[in-house]
Amino acid sequence: MSDELIPVFIKGEKVSLLPINMENVPLYVKWENDPKVRLYGRNAVPLTVEEFKKYFQPTGGRIAKEYHLEIWHNQDKKPIGSAGIFRISWFDGRAYLGLSIGESNYWGQDIGTEVTQLMVEYAFNELNLHKIYAIIAVLNEASWHCAEKNGFQREGLLKEDTFIDGKYVDYYLYSLLKDEWIKANTNI
Amino acid sequence: MEALWQMEEVKIFPFIEGENVALCAQNSEHAKLYLKWLSNPKVRKYSRNITPHTLEDIKKWFEPEPNQVSEWVVFEVWHKHDKRIIGTGGFSQVDWYNRKANIFLTIGEPDYWNKNIGTEASRLLIEYGFKELNLHKIYAGIFTPNKRSWMVAEKNGFKLEATLKDECYVDGKYVDEYRYYILQDEWLSSNE
Repeated sequence: MSDELIPVFIKGEKVSLLPINMENVPLYVKWENDPKVRLYGRNAVPLTVEEFKKYFQPTGGRIAKEYHLEIWHNQDKKPIGSAGIFRISWFDGRAYLGLSIGESNYWGQDIGTEVTQLMVEYAFNELNLHKIYAIIAVLNEASWHCAEKNGFQREGLLKEDTFIDGKYVDYYLYSLLKDEWIKANTNI
Repeated sequence: MEALWQMEEVKIFPFIEGENVALCAQNSEHAKLYLKWLSNPKVRKYSRNITPHTLEDIKKWFEPEPNQVSEWVVFEVWHKHDKRIIGTGGFSQVDWYNRKANIFLTIGEPDYWNKNIGTEASRLLIEYGFKELNLHKIYAGIFTPNKRSWMVAEKNGFKLEATLKDECYVDGKYVDEYRYYILQDEWLSSNE
């Protein structure tokens, strides 16, 4: 894709967020099926390209309950993962945040922290949501660090929530309220 | 090397010619450009596009709706000198019974902002709305920090009709929206 046509939706420093690109669905499918990537993603069954394409069908102008974006590496100029706000309750003003860096060679570079920061800002300042949740495996320390760096607080423990690799594992329920987030960002 | 946005003129369909710009029928082959504008944080702040769209969403706009009078009349804005599509504009919420419509214009390439291009493109749209579509009233909703747009509206003879309190949520806070209008009679008599 030529530089002039990259549809940047939210600009970040290391990464930007772009709309989902149907031409990259095979790549998304590769990530979602990758044993390393899907480990804590609670994805136990194989996904096909067709299922994914169907998932991203145009909604025909209806208000969606979830929005997904592609994570684009600014310097390397390629997609490396995806992020989403899902299970949006428009009445209560709450939603869940999820993200995955599909290309594992980009792990450990604080990219998840930046994506979280961009998504949180979007959820509060543009979607006008009140509260954001993140459900993170207790074993997935890297992910709870990126939630905590962004001010998320551990609200609860979901015991034996998911069956992974032959045993039940616990998940943390993290949350961030808009007011807390505003306060934290004005103090800096 | 020729850049992708330098369009072949055969893919441009001028409908109304102005001095610096022309209003053209839309071409679905430009969908990737539309996607870029619709996504660009700088642009979408003003065009109030809050959620991400995919290329497929945009391609769907081009599917003809048979046996239906559209609520939309949309053009591409063609920069005649640079030979480049730089934005879109037209009417939405066209109400054929009451003969009124909402006018909109987005210059998707920020390099072309503050060059009176928006003013010219709006003038062409207004003239078209009153002289060809036979609209009675054209209105525009502009949130208050969008100074560029209300200056364009005022230069083209729009008058402030109302201030809608806390109408839009922009960058983390509620802001008012100005509602501007212009009537066909008034416009015709001052543009004879």
